[in-house]
Formats: sequence, C-alpha cells, structure tokens
Amino acid sequence: MPETIQRDSLIGKRITKLDAPEKAGGKTRYIQDLDVQGQLYGKILRSARVHARIKSIDTAAAKALPGVHAVITAADVPYQRPIGVAKDHFPLKTDRVRSLRDEIAAVAAETEAIAEAALKLIKVEYEDLPVLADPNDSLKPDAPLIHPEPHGATAKHDHLKQAQGIAYRGKPDNIAMTFDYAQGDVAAGERESDVVFEDTFHLHYVTHCCMGVSGIIAEFDPSGNLLMYSNTQVPFLHKREFAEILNMDPARIRIIQPPIGGGFGSKLDIYPFEPITVFLAKATGRPVKLVFTREEEFLASPTRQPVILTLRSGCRKDGTLTFRTVSTLHDNGAYTSWGATTPFVMMQTISSLYRVPHCLYHTKAVYTNNPYAGSFRGYGNLQATFAVEQHMDMMAAAIGMDPLAFRLKNAQDSGEVTPQGMHFKSCGFKECLSTAAEASGFLAKFKANEADKAKPGRFKRGVGMASMLHVGGGAKIYPSDGCGTILKMDDFGSVTLITGASEIGQGSETVLAQLVCEELGVPLSAVRVINNDTEITPWDVGVHASRTTFIAGNSAIGAAKKARGKILDAAAKMAGLDAADLDLRAGHIVEAKNGTVVMTLAKLLRQLHFSDKAELVVTSFYYEPPSKHQDKHFKGDVSAAYAWATQVVEVEVDTDTGIVRLLKVTGAHDVGRILNRLGLEGQIEGGIVMGQGYALTEELMVENGVVRNPGFRDYKLVTAPEIPEMDVRFIETMDGEGPQGAKGVGEAPAICIAAATANAIHNATGVRIMALPFTPEKVYRALKAKDQHH
Amino acid sequence: MTALDNYVAPTSLEQAVVQLQELGEVTILAGGTDLMPQSHAGRVKFKRTLMNIRRIPELRGIVREGDAIRIGALTTISEMMAHPLVREHLPLLVSAGDHFASDQIRNAGTVGGNICNASPAGDTLVPLMVLDASVELASKPDDTLFRRSMPLPEFFVGPGKTRLAPAELLTAVRVPIPPKGFVARFHKFGTRPALDISAISIGVAGVLKDGKFSQVRVAFGAVAPTPVCGCATQEALEGKRLDAATIAAAAKAAQDEVHPISDVRASAWYRKEMIHNMTKRILEDVSANH
Repeated sequence: MPETIQRDSLIGKRITKLDAPEKAGGKTRYIQDLDVQGQLYGKILRSARVHARIKSIDTAAAKALPGVHAVITAADVPYQRPIGVAKDHFPLKTDRVRSLRDEIAAVAAETEAIAEAALKLIKVEYEDLPVLADPNDSLKPDAPLIHPEPHGATAKHDHLKQAQGIAYRGKPDNIAMTFDYAQGDVAAGERESDVVFEDTFHLHYVTHCCMGVSGIIAEFDPSGNLLMYSNTQVPFLHKREFAEILNMDPARIRIIQPPIGGGFGSKLDIYPFEPITVFLAKATGRPVKLVFTREEEFLASPTRQPVILTLRSGCRKDGTLTFRTVSTLHDNGAYTSWGATTPFVMMQTISSLYRVPHCLYHTKAVYTNNPYAGSFRGYGNLQATFAVEQHMDMMAAAIGMDPLAFRLKNAQDSGEVTPQGMHFKSCGFKECLSTAAEASGFLAKFKANEADKAKPGRFKRGVGMASMLHVGGGAKIYPSDGCGTILKMDDFGSVTLITGASEIGQGSETVLAQLVCEELGVPLSAVRVINNDTEITPWDVGVHASRTTFIAGNSAIGAAKKARGKILDAAAKMAGLDAADLDLRAGHIVEAKNGTVVMTLAKLLRQLHFSDKAELVVTSFYYEPPSKHQDKHFKGDVSAAYAWATQVVEVEVDTDTGIVRLLKVTGAHDVGRILNRLGLEGQIEGGIVMGQGYALTEELMVENGVVRNPGFRDYKLVTAPEIPEMDVRFIETMDGEGPQGAKGVGEAPAICIAAATANAIHNATGVRIMALPFTPEKVYRALKAKDQHH
Repeated sequence: MTALDNYVAPTSLEQAVVQLQELGEVTILAGGTDLMPQSHAGRVKFKRTLMNIRRIPELRGIVREGDAIRIGALTTISEMMAHPLVREHLPLLVSAGDHFASDQIRNAGTVGGNICNASPAGDTLVPLMVLDASVELASKPDDTLFRRSMPLPEFFVGPGKTRLAPAELLTAVRVPIPPKGFVARFHKFGTRPALDISAISIGVAGVLKDGKFSQVRVAFGAVAPTPVCGCATQEALEGKRLDAATIAAAAKAAQDEVHPISDVRASAWYRKEMIHNMTKRILEDVSANH
C-alpha cells in the first residue's frame, strides 16, 4: 500500500471508449447477431405504387406456403392505432398507400427465404391516385388530399379510438403543421436597412446511413408480457407509446437495447416495422425477428427534412443587423414524424445566433407522396445555418466589411437574453470566431483568393466560414428532461453505474464513467455501466438534443457525490477524523491535505457490512435543469446551456469538372469543458465528415415519389481519401450548470460545414449556389452560367 | 438468393467446354464481385447450372506470345497490376487498375469477368480497346476444341451483352506489345476519388514520332450501351501535331460524337461537357510530356 497518493483526474484526458475493444475486435453483438430460441423471421410487403387505393389483398397463396406461420394485413389487426408525431400513420395500411415505402402486409416464417418467397405470393390490386411529388403542388387549391378525413365505417370505428385519445382523424388540406414566430417589427427593421437581400435556398433529402440497419425482435411470454430487443434511442418514451398503440399495460413492456450501430436521430420515433413485428409475434405466439435489408433501410427509413427556405435579411452600413424574415416549406412526406418539428431549432438560429432586433418566421410542413422526414443530427439547424450564414457573407460584402468583422460585430456574448428568450449564461462565440479565423489564416486567405479569382487557371482556392448555435444543456421538448442514476458499490471498490441514458456509439458510457471516477477516486477499470434495459435502468427521456453528457452526466455526478458522502462519513468515523479532511484517490481513502493513505476503499466497503449503515446503493435524479418550455409564441429559454462553434472550410474547385475538394476544416468549438478529449475529437471529426457528405456528395434522389438510388453505389457517402485535414480547437467556457463545466456537442460539428463550403466556393469562383448538394455537375453548371453571363 | 439445380467446378478447359455444351443453361462464376451482388439484388437470375471456372489452370497466367501479351481470363485485377510483363509493356493497364473499385474487389475480380460483364462503365474495357486487344474464345461443339479470337470492340453488343456463344468460354485477352513511341492515357471520371462508377471514361493511345501523333486509338466508356470507339476523334488527331488547334478540334469532335444518356450519375449534357474537357486535358498532358 502506498503511503501517500496525490490527486489525479481523468477529466480532459484522452480516454479510449469502454466499448472500443469489443467493437474493434468485431465481437459486438448487434441486433443482427442476436437470435432467440424458437424465433421466426418477419418480412414486410411494401407498396408497389406511390399513391393508390388498395382494392384488394389476396394472401391465400402466401398463407399456404409451407413454413409460413402468419400473413397479416390491416384487416387482421383491427386494434392497431396510428403512430407518429401527428398520429397520422397506421403501421399496416388500411385503405390506401401514400408512398412507396408503405406497409401492406407482413409475413412470419421459419426462414428469411421462405418469408421472402411468401411476400411474392401476395396479390394486391391497386387503383392509382394522382401523385403529389412537389410540396408546392400540395398547396394548390385543387390538390388531391393525402389524408382525407375518414368517413363511413372507418370514421365510426375510429370514433371508439378517439374516446381513448389516439385516433386517425385525417386533414381537410395537405398542411401537416405550421409554425409562426415573431419578434419586433420586421417592416421597421427593413426601413432602417441600407442593404437587403432575399433568396430562396433548396435543401435536399439525405438519410442517416447507419452502418447497422434497423431491426427488432419481439416476443410475448405466456403471461402476455412483451419483450422487445430494439435499437431505439428513447426506450422509456417508446415503452409508453407502445403501450398506447398496442393498448397494453406499459408495465408489461420491456425494452432491451442491444449495442446500436448508429442512431444520429433516426431512432427517435416509432416506425411501422416495430409494431408490425409485435403483431406478428402476437399472431404466431413465437418470437419474431425482423431486420431490414440495406435497400429497405434506404427506402423505409426517415430522412433529414428537405426544406425550401426563403430568407430576407438586412443590415445597416455600419454592419448592424436589422431584420430577418423567413418562410419555409417543409416537404413532410406522406406521414408526420419529427422532421415537421425542426422549426423549433431553425427559429433559434434565425433569431438568436446573432443579435437581430426584428424577426418573422413562418413554416408550413405539407404532405406529399415522398418519403417522410424524421429527426437527424442538427435537427433543422443545418438547413437554417445554410441560409443565414450565406446571407451573412453577402451582406458583409455589400457593405464592404470582411466576413469575420461583420460576424464579430453581431455575435452574441455571455449574459445575453435574446428576444426569443434564450439566456446565454456561458458563451464562447466570439472566441470561436477569432480562434477559427486565426488558426486557419482566414482573412489573409480570403483576400488572396478574392484577388486570384479573376486570374486564369483551372483550380481555384476558396475559404469560407460559418458558425452555429445549438442546445447544449438539455432541451425542454418533453414535459421533463430528466435522467435517473442508480450507483452500486461492491466489496472490492468496484462501481456499477446504472443509468437511464442510452449508448448509441456516441461514447456516453465512457464519459459517465469518467465523471463517477472523478467523485469516487476509482480507476476507470473499476466502473461498469449498465444502460440498456428498461426493467433495470431508471427513467430517462432519451438520446436526443445533445443532452446525454449534460443531463445524464449531472445525474451520475449526483449519485457519485451521495456515495462519496456516505463513504467519507463512514471512513471519518472509523479513523476518528473529520470527513471534510478526507478525500478519495486511486481506490483509497486519504487525508485531503497531504494524500496520506488512511485505508483502501475496498476494506472500508467490506467493513460497512458489519455496521447497520451499509447502504452501498444510492440513487439520484437530475430532473429539471434551469430551462423552461417555450410559450405558445415559441419564446423561452429551452436549454440550460448553449454550444457554439465556428468552422472555416478551405476548398479547391476544379473549374473543368466542378469537383469541389475539401482541403482543410478548422473548427473552434465552445464545449464548456473537455471531458474525454479523444471522444470529443472523434465526435467533432465524425460530425465534420457527416456535414461534408451533406454539403458535397450525399443525396437521396427522389423522383415522383421513387427513391432512385437506394444503395451505397449511387448514394455517395464520403470515402477516406476525400476526408479533409482537420484542425479542431476547443474553447472551454466552464459552464456553471454543466457536469464539470461541460456542454453537449453531439450535433454541433455537422451543422456549419455546408454553409461554410458554400461561402468557400463563392470565395474561390464568385459563384454562389443556394441549393445542396454541391455535386460536380451542379457546380460546373453554375460556373458555366456565370461564364456565359459575362 | 437463387436456388440452384446444379453446380459444377471443372478442373480443365476441356472439361469446362464439354460441360458447357452438354448443360446448356449455365451461369459462369469467376471472381463473383459483380455476379454475387447482382444476384442478391435480384437483377441477375442464375441459370439452371452454376459453373465455377476458378479451378481451370489454363485460364490463369500472363505470358508473352510472340508480339503479344496473353492475359488469362482468371487473372485478377491485382495480379494484372503486379505482373512484370504488364508493368513493362502495358503500363496503361496498371494505371487503369489503380482506379478499379477497391483493393478487396481487385483481389477477387478478374479481367475475364470484367470483359464478359460488358458494363459500358467497365474499367478495363476502354484501356484494352485503345491497346487494340482481342479476346480468345473456346468451345467444343463436336469432337475438336474450337478456338476463335475477336477484336474487343466487336465483342460488345449492349449492357451485359456480348457475342459470346452459349457454349463458349472466354479464355484470355491478347494485347499486342505497343510499338516504339507509343503513348497512352486512361482517364476515369467519377465524382469521387475512390469506389466510384465512371460517369465517363476516356482512353487515348497512339504513336508520337517527330511531333506527330499517328495510329491513334480513342475509346469512351459510359456514354453508350457499350464502350465505344472515338472514331471521329481519332480522325481529328491522326497524323497531326498536338498543337492547341488540333487539341481543340479533337475535343470538339469527341463531344459531338458521343450520345450519352442522363441517369443518377450524370446528365447527358454534363457527360458531353466532361468528354470535351477531359479529352482536351488528356491531349494537353500528352503534348506537354512528350
């Protein structure tokens, strides 16, 4: 036993993720690798038409196929209820299909091959309906309705469900949702403006491309309890929602999450395949496993929200911003998922990234027969930032200011409360701007490229910047934003941390373990994290809104502090010292002032068994961070802390081909405080690459409701040689409410890249492109158009 | 997945062509890098019999035969790229291989498979065409082994379609050793540097002597149902000095002679523009480096 131990800390160190060895070794057992004794395989028959009435479904031949245990359609599950954010979506379609992904029937069979063969035997008769493929068409007065209000027998049947709270109601028009926000008087703002720009920006479809495709196993036990192995990001919300849509007692539903092969927001909603698998399990009395093919993953997963955004903004000659007016048309797709609600985040960027006195914001999310949009890392912020940050460059140029000075003049400071009600208690925005600009040599490059633009030459260099603001201290989206922790210590000084927070690859379990080590003075190897079983873990609202480090981190610290108090009290009593003079270091109880070892932690814990105050299990909840719900005018301080970032992108444009190469990204991120430097670097770098794909290569091509590239051959993810050099700097603002001062930054790094790339292409070529992605053909076309113009 | 009635794995060319003649409906498996994904995706249906030709020694190896190099059909792209004869005489195939899919696919995918697959975007086809390659075909319609050869451009009929007879096997590709002063370029144009399918590709070859370009061969990929000869472009170059006017005329001829389609990878307009710009770039590069 050492005589003295000095205080050591894991905070800010480069810590390998706890699950790294098994993932790198190929030993992780994802949903694909799990099999349950006696399981059947589920497959879904999807629509062959984009928009049609279902005239008949004949399942007789499929049912007769040997090895088939069940073939179900909507008629077999009259109890099914609508799912989704607006409850406008039956898992199995009743009388019509509204997009090509729509589920018509499902099969459970002894093998996947039999299930597939059975699908081919199902005969469906359709009567085609006119297709709405453009959200503008959906708003025309004579547009066909995608969700007409039910009538007759359906309406009567639905009446029963209305009484129970969930019902499919239909819509008198194609508008799924609207959002309006106003501050100040934009007309007055415009009168004060010396420069005004108005442009329309087109944001495209992209999808998450999780390496692990969607899947679920559902199983009923003989008592009627439902167990689901599910990849959800929100197990506790799903438990409740599944109970509602299945008309079950939530206490009878248990969700176990196997390691999840990528989330990025895609697993925040319930999708039809999940209840359908439950229906199949119910129909067969057997466990049923359903895993998507990659093609299905492209066709039937949610997308990022495509948006047509018109932005009008102005400033004075001295560089003061005056107003912003925004109108967006969201292509909702055929059903409503979280994509429709991205205005919550978009309006924050519009109103509060910079100081703007007057703002007017309007969104219509309209139904079409296209794929439907869900939530996706950044949640509307990539789209809003793309427009706002291009206008920032355009206004700066118009008044003869450089892009950095113009942004610094209008950037938020700590202490500010914006007209929308967001309170920036810690804010490193200006430091992000100046750090990213300095580290990248932004101003000198910007001016040199401007000068080189007109010179002959095939390759043009450009540099562009963009900044972002995003929630970093939880988000008041649901009535509560809480997370619970159970912390257990054993006789050997080991800690089991049982948290409600899910690990989806983002590294939360490592950070939570680090925070516990910090309080209890144990090595990382002494901590186990349990986080994947609703029967065991305490409640948590889910992985979203960059909240886990902040909320679950504070919850874990709370539990660890309680345990620390108990341990030090007991040790003080045993050693005849004052608890305030003791500390926990490297698995020992020591005197705080000089590190003199009093005893090992393990010994103390064992001795507690012989007292009547063992209590080696503590619980805590971190419930309400100091934030509040937005009022009905969308005003309110929705997060306890906000994350900031500036990214500078350097590009090379090949004017012969339109190919844009990202040479370097310099990022400065206000992260509050670095907890795990390695994890943070990984998250920022991964986000940059995701932003790069959004900016340059990725596009889910949807034509007349048909996805034309449902595979990695023609849906182009960024490949290794395209990844730019990255220089990432961290700004530590030590947030007062954050765990050890940290803020959440999961979404932040993906947000600015497209906007900064747009500005860099302009700096290189003088061409400003307001539609994504910047494919070679699009850039080349724009360059050609400019040449012909001159 | 496709259910198979029959699987055969002949161990000699003789045995293979006899079986082909007897069994009739046969799908041939070489590297499998295209066949297997196409089959899984339901785009290719296996015929009654699957024939694995990977155990046939006669289909392997790269040898010099007189004034030509014979590359066995089962030669993988990696083997082709590493072979000393290819590196010495046919460096164009090495640089083309460098743009061919990924290392994993190059290790499995074969030259013969790439040719028989007959994709208009097949990465070895355009380089082989400008190298004046021909294919060797074998069959055994009666008691004697029948071999014939065919210039590569004649072999292709349409996407995935060739003049290979039902009971015939492609055994090798034969490439004449280029003459002195021979220069050749291949440019695969995709939108990303790795793992991409060509939006267009261009091959240019010829002999540069006393500043003049002769015996010119030009071929284009991904602009028609098969890789095609750039005949008008050849004509614009034949016997000329590679000066700015010739290069401009050749690039224009190239743009005018191709009739590509629009698809998810590129529009017809963009493909024609790129044919023009890349032809110009290749010729400027040849002119500057010789």
